[in-house]
Amino acid sequence: MSSRHAAPRQGLACLTMGPTSRETWAQRLGTFRASPSAFMAGPEGEDLGRHLLSDLRSEKLSEPTKISLLALSLEYPAQLWPDAPAAEAAATSLLDTLVLLPPRPSALRRPLLLAATTALAAGGALGPTSGASRRLLPLLLGLASGRDLGRSFGPASEQRTLQATAWECLRELESCKPGLLGGCLGLLRGLLGQEGAVQPLSLLLALALRNALVIQARARAGLQGLLVAGDWPTEGGPWNWMLAEEGDAHLQPQAPSWPAAEEGECRLATLELSPEEARELRAAVAQLLDASYLLTPVAQAQLLWLLGWALRGLRGQPPVLFKPQLVRLLGTAQLTLLHAVLALKAAFGEALFTAQDEALLLRRLTLAAQHPALPLPARLFYLHCLLNFPENWPLGPAGEEAAPLLLGSQLCRGLLPSLLHDPTALLARLHLLCLLCVEDEEKEEKGQDQSPRRYLEELLAGLRQRAALDGGPRALATLCFQASYLVARCLAGQPVVLTPLTHGLAQLYRAQPALAPHFVDLLDRVGPELGEPLKVVLRQEVVSRPGRDEALRWHLQMLARVADGDAQSATLGFLQAAAARCTDWGLQQALLQVCRALLRAGVGGGLADLLQALARQLEDPDGRDHARLYYILLAHLEEPKLGVALGPSLAAPALASSLVAENQGFAAALMVQEAPAPIRLSVGPHRAKGPVPVLQLQVEVLEQVYSLELRFRVERQIYAPLGAVHVPCLCPGRPTRPLLLPLQPRRPAPSRLAVRALYTTPSGLTCHARLPPLLVNFADLFLPFPQPPEGAELGFFEELWDSCLPKGTESRLWCPLGPHGLEALVSRHLEPFVVVAQPPTSYLIAIRLPPDSRLLLRLEAAQADGVPVALRTDDWAVLPLVGDCLRGLSVAG
Amino acid sequence: MAQRAVWLISHEPGTPLCGTVRFSRRYPTVEKRAKVFNGASYVPVPEDGPFLKALLFELRLSDDDKDFSESRDSCSHINKTSIYALLIGGEELWPVIAFMKNGMIYACVPLVEQTLFPRPPLISISGISQGFELLFGVQGFLYSGQKNDSELNTKLSQLPDLLLQTCPFGTLLDANLENSLDSINFASVTHPQKQPTWKAGTYKGKPQVSISITEKVKSMQYDKQDIADTWQVIGVVTCKCDLEGSMPNVTISLSLPTNGSPLQDILVHPCVTSLDSAILTSSSIDAADDSAFSGPYKFPLTPPLESFNLCYYTSQVPVPPILGFYQVKEEEVQLKITVNLKLHESVKNSFEFCEARIPFYNRGPVTHVEHKVSFGQLEVFREKSLLIWIIGQKFPKSLEISLSGTVTFGAKSHEKQPFDQICIGGTAYLKLHFRILDYTLTGCYADQHSVQVFASGKPKISTCKLYRFKLT
Repeated sequence: MSSRHAAPRQGLACLTMGPTSRETWAQRLGTFRASPSAFMAGPEGEDLGRHLLSDLRSEKLSEPTKISLLALSLEYPAQLWPDAPAAEAAATSLLDTLVLLPPRPSALRRPLLLAATTALAAGGALGPTSGASRRLLPLLLGLASGRDLGRSFGPASEQRTLQATAWECLRELESCKPGLLGGCLGLLRGLLGQEGAVQPLSLLLALALRNALVIQARARAGLQGLLVAGDWPTEGGPWNWMLAEEGDAHLQPQAPSWPAAEEGECRLATLELSPEEARELRAAVAQLLDASYLLTPVAQAQLLWLLGWALRGLRGQPPVLFKPQLVRLLGTAQLTLLHAVLALKAAFGEALFTAQDEALLLRRLTLAAQHPALPLPARLFYLHCLLNFPENWPLGPAGEEAAPLLLGSQLCRGLLPSLLHDPTALLARLHLLCLLCVEDEEKEEKGQDQSPRRYLEELLAGLRQRAALDGGPRALATLCFQASYLVARCLAGQPVVLTPLTHGLAQLYRAQPALAPHFVDLLDRVGPELGEPLKVVLRQEVVSRPGRDEALRWHLQMLARVADGDAQSATLGFLQAAAARCTDWGLQQALLQVCRALLRAGVGGGLADLLQALARQLEDPDGRDHARLYYILLAHLEEPKLGVALGPSLAAPALASSLVAENQGFAAALMVQEAPAPIRLSVGPHRAKGPVPVLQLQVEVLEQVYSLELRFRVERQIYAPLGAVHVPCLCPGRPTRPLLLPLQPRRPAPSRLAVRALYTTPSGLTCHARLPPLLVNFADLFLPFPQPPEGAELGFFEELWDSCLPKGTESRLWCPLGPHGLEALVSRHLEPFVVVAQPPTSYLIAIRLPPDSRLLLRLEAAQADGVPVALRTDDWAVLPLVGDCLRGLSVAG
Repeated sequence: MAQRAVWLISHEPGTPLCGTVRFSRRYPTVEKRAKVFNGASYVPVPEDGPFLKALLFELRLSDDDKDFSESRDSCSHINKTSIYALLIGGEELWPVIAFMKNGMIYACVPLVEQTLFPRPPLISISGISQGFELLFGVQGFLYSGQKNDSELNTKLSQLPDLLLQTCPFGTLLDANLENSLDSINFASVTHPQKQPTWKAGTYKGKPQVSISITEKVKSMQYDKQDIADTWQVIGVVTCKCDLEGSMPNVTISLSLPTNGSPLQDILVHPCVTSLDSAILTSSSIDAADDSAFSGPYKFPLTPPLESFNLCYYTSQVPVPPILGFYQVKEEEVQLKITVNLKLHESVKNSFEFCEARIPFYNRGPVTHVEHKVSFGQLEVFREKSLLIWIIGQKFPKSLEISLSGTVTFGAKSHEKQPFDQICIGGTAYLKLHFRILDYTLTGCYADQHSVQVFASGKPKISTCKLYRFKLT
């Protein structure tokens, strides 16, 4: 088939380059790693992939250098070979290199296998039409199963080390293309019974089994004897792609792999297994579990996740198979193993864990969460698991953290927070303590002494004491406010906790007014249960101690947040006293912010006097102007209008009331901000007309933007640079016209367009956003030839057909058809290019490929399931693209 | 259960970036799956530069934490695990596992096989625990037997190769990286029969089993009525089994004398094949009583080749081994200190070393010390504001020793002197360090009769006990 012939030719073409020296490569790889994007945009970027492939065969480079080249290709294939054809060509070239290695031992074979696998899987080239795939898969299976592949694969001892690698490669391919090894399940089972590498085989079998079950359940089919031994696929021979093609469409976001209890009926329930199939499946799972002890702990965990997932909800497959493993797993200190047990718990609930088992699991988890021999990150994760524990019969709302029912305060004694803990640990344990306080509310009323609540109060007091330290790190203050926020959120309904918290915070402010930004932030985020009383005490705190404070700017910042219609005279008194000391611009602005807050709160009389005084007495003209403006607004506008006039649209976003914010606001208005994308772009239906291909971009508006400028960059410069597109204004909800983007291809090939947007927000900020790249498909470049005069169509086509050779090439391929047949395919995708039509079986199609290539298709004698396509082109490089494109069309229907 | 990328970053405070990426590895096939699974919520793995910056900022390790920054300091920005969301280029990369140990930050991004909005709970993501194990494994490799920077650099340079073995496609195969080093060397050995993956080869030679028990005690003595003193023993049992055969069966038992303290919170190595329910449930959570299981603690197992930690345990001994009393009185620029220490008569009076460290925080340098010790000698580290009382190998017959003296401090200059958030004013502590060889506080022991080997040949069995102690 076309792609098979074209790819090696591309590969050979690079051999003509001279090899680069070791030093040059070392330097080049260093620069690349420092910033791949910068390197790829530079002069060397475009050819890096080709040079790398050709230098792998250079005899002048040493093995270590070549290994470093392969290491790069393992990490950055998307940069080196950005599209599927390039990835296919790269994989082919890597396989050729592998085959050409002399028979002596070589450290290159393993990385070459890994690199070819990575290139195919990451480049999206893996598939039945890819020649490299058809070479790689049987090769891997042969190596993995230990069949001697002849001396070309090095000495027998090396083949054994390649064996494990080959299993891993197959597993990765199966992960990226579920169902790929569905046809080999029987084979894999047979091998597992024999000696050899247990771990890679077990993991691959479990993965392939799970994928096959999911795919067959979707197709509402049974296992169809998949678990019984099958034949060996041979190199170049047919590979069973049936399940993979089925599964490919389904590597999509799945439903949460963590099953909620009510999800018991999940998809697999539709899988109908015959009694015999069910028995085979049980035997296969039991076989895997029995050997699981031989796997490394992390691999055991993977196996349990996979098998748990595979059997969840499957009728007639009781999870008791897992039971013999559980006690062993519960005793270990291994994070992955305990996590896998929790996954089984979540998957099977009561079917696998009785209430006593649940209690034991909770006990082990509590123990692990506080075990001094375990590293802190592990303990914290266990604590998270405790608060998200998959209970058999959960009481609370799903998705919220809660202390499990069986976890009493006795069990949690060792999990109480203390000031000596690391901040993360303290917050995690504090959360648990809060949850216990909620539960213990009733006991509280009986007046017990060592209650969790009292403990909580002492802890918070200790945190505040540390936050009040002069010159202490900001992290201490942040921790204190985070703890206060957590308590306020969890115990919002408990005034008995919130009242001392409120007073404690007021004391903290008295001791350390420089924490004002933290207070403002806390007030912005907590609910009214804490927010309202805290506001009142903080206001009292500020206005009751005028005059003697150096921390005036913090007081003003605080007051701008807490001032409202209450306690007007005290507030105004404080401001009048403060006005005399507001000598610099910043302080005056802060003072005016408070006035503004009062204005919005509807404070009248006294404020007018203050504003008048300020308009006269402030040194700074800007301040005087503001005061005068506020006075005029106050004097002339009714309250509701005043609200509108002072609403957020009037001034810059600096209204959040702090001096710092004010300064940030000014700076922000002058700078370009990095922002999330305000619009979404997608490529619309193809317009096949005009002198050049034009992309129709559909715009989905997420936020209102003005003066939008879209800039495009073509990857690998396959097309001429694109001009920017300008749109004056876009509003969400209003229909938008598609944007037209003319392309000037330098060669007919698909590419990706990187997109950046520069725009102005309604609040006047200039923002910059990166949009997801746009894919330009090969078919998007198709243009029709000018319409020949009526009656001359056939002659016109034949003339074009003949003109392709000898410069170009001819090929034939089989294009499978969907249920609607050839007619639907043509009318949906190829209509504009049809020169001669004899529906429903025959079409002659001529396509112009800018800049100056042509593609001619004869679709003749269509059958029910497909149509033979004869094609000619004057540009051999497009051949692989055509094959993929046609098959893509037929899949799309 | 795969990882999209892994990083090692050294934290270098005071340098412009505050850190350097020492190692990074991306997994493009996993990234490709992430793109599909995460759908519209997909955020690509960033390049090293932006990642470094965002991570250090989030972990508060960049130097710019002077001002309040909402994205980091907001009260609602609460992290209760070592898993973070990093703001990079206007998008949020989540979940990022990261923690720091010995100045090195270990980080990775696990694959989430579903959409990220709404965020699934961490417990439901298999890649999280796998990511942790990978990072712990790397950490274990870097710091096993490593003593200086050049050794660290050598190990860092071995890392790409090792990860190619243990994590070729982002899915971890073995968290024990040393194991993979061995398996490279053992590769030519044929495997005649089924052999555990965690055992790279077979042992040939004299059979031998060695067991070593190390106990540490952590104790806090406040000498206050409203705060209870605490002392807890943490034990680790390390084994090395040199036995022939691919899967020899061994049972190791730990025993206690009649008055020994029961072992609790026992966590075992995954090579242990089964556990008695009494071991599984014996826990410090329960109030201690006479019914507690007091052994023997039997561990049937198939040992790996290398030395391994058979189990960890805790225990609650009835009294702290050394009772301390420490008093500080502030008299203008002087501090008057009094220390009394009493060794409990049940504890073996023979130390490898024993010393008390008395630090002073939030003060100037020590300018003058007048002191009297009943035993041992006192060393003064003026610049570090630290006194060390070297007690030596033995307590005197009375088992009681004391120190009294006055310490004078110079003017406080902010940068040099040690700062502490807790030791303010009269709040102070002293820390006692010591080590006793061939002794365990719980009484826990293993001897010739503790090891049963079901294999050919009678092994030589050696045991040792070690007891380390830290008292605050």
